[in-house]
Parts: sequence; C-alpha cells; structure tokens
Amino acid sequence: MMQAFIDSLWATARGLPVTLAIWLAAVVAGMALGFLVGALRFFAPRLVSWPLAALVETVRGVPFLVQCFLLYFGGPFVGIDLSPVMAGFVALSVYGAAYFSEVFRAGFNAVPPGQLEAARLLGLSRPATVWRIMLPVMALGVLPALANLAVILIKETAVLSIITVPELTFRVQGVGTSTFAFAETTLVLALVYWGLVEATAMLARATERRIERALAA
Amino acid sequence: MSALSVRGLHRSVGATQILRGIDLDVTAGEAIGIIGPSGSGKSSLLRCIAGLDPIAAGSVAVEGRATRPGDGAVGMVFQQFNLWPHLTARQNVALALRLVRKLPVREADARAEAALAQVGLAALAARKPAALSGGQQQRVAIARTLAMEPRVLLFDEPTAALDPELTTEVLDVIRALAAGGTTMLVVSHEMGFVAGLATRVVFLDHGQVVQSGPPAEIFSQRAEPRIQAFLQTYLSRVAWVQA
Repeated sequence: MMQAFIDSLWATARGLPVTLAIWLAAVVAGMALGFLVGALRFFAPRLVSWPLAALVETVRGVPFLVQCFLLYFGGPFVGIDLSPVMAGFVALSVYGAAYFSEVFRAGFNAVPPGQLEAARLLGLSRPATVWRIMLPVMALGVLPALANLAVILIKETAVLSIITVPELTFRVQGVGTSTFAFAETTLVLALVYWGLVEATAMLARATERRIERALAA
Repeated sequence: MSALSVRGLHRSVGATQILRGIDLDVTAGEAIGIIGPSGSGKSSLLRCIAGLDPIAAGSVAVEGRATRPGDGAVGMVFQQFNLWPHLTARQNVALALRLVRKLPVREADARAEAALAQVGLAALAARKPAALSGGQQQRVAIARTLAMEPRVLLFDEPTAALDPELTTEVLDVIRALAAGGTTMLVVSHEMGFVAGLATRVVFLDHGQVVQSGPPAEIFSQRAEPRIQAFLQTYLSRVAWVQA
C-alpha cells in the first residue's frame, strides 16, 4: 500500500507540469478568444453576433468530455488530426472561451451608460470612448468572474485523461491500474487537485487585487 | 440673440408624450431653475437640450446654431456624477482636453488642475473617484464639464444622489458659477437653493411649462394653484421648531 502512495506521488510529479502547462495555455488562449467573441457579440451587428451566440450556446450545452471525444476521435474524419496534448489544449481553450465570452459580454453590458453619455457630451470619439472608458471600466467589473472561471478550468483538465493526455489524472490512474490500489491513488489525486485549486485561487485573488489597485482606488 | 433657444420641443416614448411643446429662451448669464413633480419632464428637457435623447419635433439652438452632442456647446452635470472610476480626478478632467481639444499633456493637466481648484479640489487631484466623497465626486464632475468651457451648463438634479450634509459644498460651487455669469439650467428639488439662485424659475408639469417667472413670483401666493400645491409638499417636510 505504501508503494502505491509513493508511486502516486511520483506520477503526480510527472503529470503536474503537463496539467499546469495545458491549463495556463488554455486560460490565455481561451480568454483571448473569449474576449474577441464577447466583444463581437456586444459591438457587431446581428448578422455576426447571432451565429456567435448559437456557437457559444452549443459549446456550453455539450459536456466537455463529449467535446474532447468529438475533437480527438472525430477530428481525423474531417482532417483535424491532433496529438492528445494539442487536442486537449484546443478543446479546453474553446470550452473556456465560450464561458469567458459570456463574462466579457456581461461586462460590456454592465458599463454604466451615464459614463458613456458623459464621454459623448465632452466630445470623445466613439473609438476613444471604447478604448479609454469602456474597456477599463469593463475590466474592473469582470476581474472576479475571470479569476473564478480560470480556477474552475483546472478541474476540467482531469477530463483530458480520457483522450490519453499524460496529465495528472492520467498518470496517477495509471498507478492505480497497475497496482490495483485505486482508493489510495484516487485519494492522492483528490488532495493534489484540491491543493492546486486552493493555490491558484489565492494567486488569482492576489492578481485580481493588484489589477484592481492599478485601475481604481 | 439668446444663448439658448428651445422652440416647440416635443418628445415621445412610444405613445407617451414626455415633452409637449416646450418654448424657452435663455439670455447669456441667466440661471434658469427648473422645478416640477417627478415625471413632469424636467430631466427629459435637459437631455433633449444636450442631444442625448431624440426629439420628435421642435428645435434646440445654442447662440443661434443647432447643436449635437460633443460639439462643446452644451455641458451637463449628472445626478450620478458619471466620473470614470479608473482615472484620477485630474485625469477625469484632462481626458477630453487632451483627446478633443488636442492639448499637450502638460497643458491639459494644468487646465485640469485650474478647473479642480475652481471647485475647491486642488488638493485631491490625484485621487480616484472611489477615494472621494459623493460631494467631492460631483465637484470633480462639474470641473470636468467646466474645463471644456461649454456655452450653456445643464445640471440634472446635481445633489439628488448626495447625503444632505454633502449637498452644501456642491450647491456653493453652482452658486459661485451663477454669480460669475455662467449661463445655466438647473433641475433641482432643493427649493430654497433654486429660489436663491435662479434669475428665472420654470415650473413644468406633464411635459408643459405651467408658469415661468422670477422666483419671487413662483414661490409666492401669486403662483398657479398647481405650483402652490406642489410647493406645499415641500413645506410639510420642513422641520422647524421654535423655541
């Protein structure tokens, strides 16, 4: 039994960097894509925003596991042949982007109209108003939701083990399969994820406070 | 030529008529107090003059020219201040000077500080709105509008969002501006303030001017019954204990 614990920790050491790398890359890419989609849904004419809304709803309406299957196993049929890690990164980015886009869209909606009217009366151009007023005010409002969403995405990386991404869950489950010590290995896995989420949540809150201080007060 | 000329102004939202033919001529240097029950169209009138709300019929002209938002003719101070929360007081005032007036940063900052000094806030120029009281925020908003030197200044219930003890500092600033000859229209529920400030008071009800005249006429027994009934609701709220 002791051996299973030791093996699990070794597997954790090997899987953790992969989990963190995919998560970080997917948060950055997902936030960027989500911002683009959210901004288009807010600013673009209906011809653009409506199909995007349908797309976002589809991604939000299909379980992440099923999306991973579709991309990894279905992709090759339409010429998208990705390695497990690439498929995992793309799937998580798109999944995250759908949720990030909703946060950004809500953020744009929440900018007080009076602050924009003040800008208009003072003669600020539309681009200047968007760039100087809307974006920073929106950013202030969405920070907590963005940080929260980023932390949630860490847990979603576990799903990528199903498409053989050599991340945390995949590695530690491998120990379980070879030693039949499923309970012990899964316990280690749970504790590692919990620690990871707590650590990143703290980090996210600190970052949030820094940006908030830089933007207001 | 009048500083501001409003002719036959109509505004409707759906089937509801908000403003029903407003005529108003304001001479340069006049301070017009606009009073009336809630829903009478006071704020709508200011928003139409500023060009923020579309008008169904009629015209608004400042010094003989039709206006549009952002052309600098009309400045407006809002009930909710509407300062930009991510900018300091100085930056709030300087932004339009830089981007619209195209002043160099140093000159824009200098003018912003002069405008803040005018409202008594020179010492707090580096603070962001969150670090200012409501009264201070509203004074920054006034400085922001003043710095752009509009021909006509509109105040839309400038103290309605403030705690009573913070209204004085804002009212003092507006009084000083009026004394200095700034052409202004002030919508307010502070009747004593309006009576002392305005060269002329306009009473609106249901989107129409019921009566317009000097404060001594409006705030008196000679006023229309509707006005007297309206003012009665204020009298009943005054606490006055005689020793």
